[in-house]
Amino acid sequence: MNITRRNVLLGATAAAALGPIAARAQTSEVVIGVIYPFSGASAQMGVDAQKSFETALEVINKNHDFDLPLAKGEGLPGLGGAKVRLVFADHQADPQKGRAETERLITQEKVCAVIGTYQSAVAVTVSQICERYQIPFISADNSSPSLHRRGLKFYFRAAPHDEMFSAAMFNFFDAMKKKGAKIDTLSLFHEDTIFGTDSANTQLKLAADRGYKIATDIKYRSNSPSLSAEVQQLKTANADVLMPSSYTTDGILLVKTMAELGYKPNAIVAQDAGFSEKALYDAVGDKLEGVISRGSFSLDLAAKRPMVGKVNAMFKEKSGKDFNDLTSRQFMGLLVMAEAINRAKSTDGEKIREALVATDIPGEQTIMPWKRVKFDEMGQNNDADPVLLQYIGGKFVTIFPPQAAIAEAVWPMK
Amino acid sequence: MTAETIIQSLASGLLMGLLYGLIAVGLALIFGLMDVVNFAHGEFLMIAMYATFFLFAFFAIDPLLSAPLVAAALFVFGAVVYLLIVRFAVRAKANAGMVQIFSTFGLAIVMRGLAQYFFTPDYRSVTHSWLGGKTVSVAGIFLPVPQLVGALVAIAAFGALYLFINRTDFGRALEATREDAGAVALVGIDKNKVFALGWGLGAALVGLSGAVMAIFFYIYPDVGASFALIAYVTVALGGFGSVFGAFAGGIIVGLVEATTALLLPPSLKAVGIYAVYLLVVFVRPRGLFGSM
Repeated sequence: MNITRRNVLLGATAAAALGPIAARAQTSEVVIGVIYPFSGASAQMGVDAQKSFETALEVINKNHDFDLPLAKGEGLPGLGGAKVRLVFADHQADPQKGRAETERLITQEKVCAVIGTYQSAVAVTVSQICERYQIPFISADNSSPSLHRRGLKFYFRAAPHDEMFSAAMFNFFDAMKKKGAKIDTLSLFHEDTIFGTDSANTQLKLAADRGYKIATDIKYRSNSPSLSAEVQQLKTANADVLMPSSYTTDGILLVKTMAELGYKPNAIVAQDAGFSEKALYDAVGDKLEGVISRGSFSLDLAAKRPMVGKVNAMFKEKSGKDFNDLTSRQFMGLLVMAEAINRAKSTDGEKIREALVATDIPGEQTIMPWKRVKFDEMGQNNDADPVLLQYIGGKFVTIFPPQAAIAEAVWPMK
Repeated sequence: MTAETIIQSLASGLLMGLLYGLIAVGLALIFGLMDVVNFAHGEFLMIAMYATFFLFAFFAIDPLLSAPLVAAALFVFGAVVYLLIVRFAVRAKANAGMVQIFSTFGLAIVMRGLAQYFFTPDYRSVTHSWLGGKTVSVAGIFLPVPQLVGALVAIAAFGALYLFINRTDFGRALEATREDAGAVALVGIDKNKVFALGWGLGAALVGLSGAVMAIFFYIYPDVGASFALIAYVTVALGGFGSVFGAFAGGIIVGLVEATTALLLPPSLKAVGIYAVYLLVVFVRPRGLFGSM
């Protein structure tokens, strides 16, 4: 066939006519990158997170009658019923591997959004790469406050950060003091990466503002073979409240060492992480009766919102565990992202970002005790109200704030 | 800082140090015997801990009882690793050093991967045992019984190893082979048997440490990594190849760690260990008790 002007025109017309079909075909699937530790010391976090994201995926891609974003109907109606597909990447708790894997997700796997990361230290690099490629990133379960204060445009966090969590703790202390509890001195015990450091800085500031004395502030090396020297110092300080910010391994070792060295604090108020993990309670739960941890999730909520129980059952079938503070935030992270992509009606990074900025999901449409999901100009949801949970009789009950509480706090612990 | 705090820290450091020593002795033994560094040493510790855990979880065998079983199993495992992998690695004609490093390093990665695949990365622990959670208190100083027993086991194991090397034919063959592997062949000693025995013994010792540690430490596929690093420093500090040096090195590392945590912020306690190590290699490059 000769290439004539007419043929070229015809071809162009045909191509133009095919265009929309091609575009639709392209979006029959929405690919989201999920980056977690799947090997190394926190591999179990990744394994649990994967089950949680798969639960959220089932809610989105299949038809359910829950009042959750995208639960009704299959796939994303805004993109012609496109299904969401997840690509999992392993960052091994290493910020540099997180950087490389995010780059791979974006350039090779062509993901249109990224969710991560468990460790805040890794979220720092992952979010920087996302920013560079203009790919929206949802920090599902990272709690370091410094994360959203870096002026990134593609960074979003639906869950509370440690300042909000810590403020809830100090509000609780204030309330307990009014009731006559003796809470004057605090011992901080925190690991040495960004999670522990940010947590401790926030707690130091809040303690100074509200007139609590810091008896000791111990920064320790994470995954240490021994914590006896650290526990010895906590014991010497003997504060009214011990406030640990530790991941699971250190949490287990801390509690074991405390028992061995005969240190029984009046109360432990923990910054989640390891202290929300089933593995920790399986190992040393008998020594933790009455421990209080901050959280953004409580199964109690199922009494008010039955779908929480239903979604939890879906997750439990996959993982053999109940939702905890981390897995619930991961679950919501994907729902929030998918809901925005659906509204954006596009897989373009900038359009998704605009949709995220406009997000406004009422609290009742989440499985969390949050007021709603709405991001401020830094990408932080300030309406994600934290709760405090106390470990009583082998399970967690909500004790604070009063509007969410279903039980009175047991104070001191024992 | 009270006297009580200082004594408590030193006591904790000593108990931990004896255990570090026990972990490192196996590494030193193998190195002394055939100049091979076992980079899978931490993973040997890890499977010993898992073995102890599963014997506890499925058969309710207390770690104290399973310790000899685990040590025996690790003995076999160590010998098999030598016969199946290391024996061939040391025979490599080109880049022999590299081949040795990568064979045991590769083994470490495979073992870690398999552990994660079969046992899941979840954290396990022996929830109740005869010793677990028990503590004796002497004049306000707390000595956790699991660590105390671990320390006694370490001393006993080291004593037994010492007698074995010095008083038995096998031990003499071991010594002779480490001094001159070529010459022993002339007197009819099978070098391979002695090496296999050495690997078995080294693995059994770390197996014993794993069993004892399972009482008070958590267990997961990567648990060996942090202990292995300390074991390498311990061996280098004590003197490469010296079994006695490794044991003494362990005690020093334990005490230095505890003292550093007392004087500096605890996040820097590893700095003390490495500072002492640097000092030692600076003034005495072969290590404190090294004879090379």
